[in-house]
Amino acid sequence: MAKHDHDHEHTAPPSDPALRVKALESLLLEKGLIDAAALDEIIDTYENKIGPRNGAAVVARAWVDADYKKRLLDDATAAIAELGFSGVQGEDMVVVENLPGLHNMVVCTLCSCYPWPTLGLPPVWYKAAPYRSRAVSDPRSVLDEFGVTLADDVEIRVWDSNAELRYLVLPERPDGTDGMSEDQLAAMVTRDSMIGTGLVQAP
Amino acid sequence: MAVLSADQVAGLAATGASCRVDEAVAPKFSVGDHVVVRNINPSGHTRLPRYVRGKRGVVDRDHGVFVFPDTNAHIEGEKPQHVYSVRFTPRELWGGDASERDSVYIDMWDDYIDPTE
Repeated sequence: MAKHDHDHEHTAPPSDPALRVKALESLLLEKGLIDAAALDEIIDTYENKIGPRNGAAVVARAWVDADYKKRLLDDATAAIAELGFSGVQGEDMVVVENLPGLHNMVVCTLCSCYPWPTLGLPPVWYKAAPYRSRAVSDPRSVLDEFGVTLADDVEIRVWDSNAELRYLVLPERPDGTDGMSEDQLAAMVTRDSMIGTGLVQAP
Repeated sequence: MAVLSADQVAGLAATGASCRVDEAVAPKFSVGDHVVVRNINPSGHTRLPRYVRGKRGVVDRDHGVFVFPDTNAHIEGEKPQHVYSVRFTPRELWGGDASERDSVYIDMWDDYIDPTE
């Protein structure tokens, strides 16, 4: 747009990808290939109903119930389904446990594979090329940039969800949380701690 | 063509569609086996990341039998086979003075790897 001087504001046009999505959506709707109400329902499902609070409930249960934790590490898909979280992009789950001296983190170097039923849709940085390439080649620096500074002798295991398995990190339960209820524990568990780019901090 | 309706969304999202196959396919590898990733460069779909091609690792766990995406994506058959989590050291992947203690675990179908040693 040519530069000009007057005192009204112009509305910036949407970004190219947004325009492209709108165009595709209009075409699909016009041709009757998608239903607008179904689209709204899908967006509502993944914006408001399914998200990292589900994963946090799984983590908190594992912290308070040793038998559940064992089932979770043995057969994550079934144990997560016990709490009602299953479905698209969570069909075949693996849970990896952080321990003193051992830190796990998850990436999808090929695209953006992510466990939807427990974490919702992935954050933008998870889908971006810098995270996807550097998580495998330089995980320690990536973690440092996320504010997770690990001692040199902590082993890092990076899980590339390039195939059909979807990974969830079981973070370490922080010290000083012995008296907390399962709900209080779940409230502390962050999305990033279940990707492995964060640690759970006691309040 | 049947179009997805709003009332079908919740059920579909909660069900999903696993690529796991309930078929008795013999595994080519066992946990602890040393393997080398095939240096292949398919022009079509693959789930074999370039950074592990030609690299050596160790089978860490057997996830069971899954549809093979390289053929299935091109409607050339499901070709079900085992998928393993294979452990690689950063030294093997990146050379130089990269860590030997840390690990990268990647899921490999039978057709992505060969035995070594």
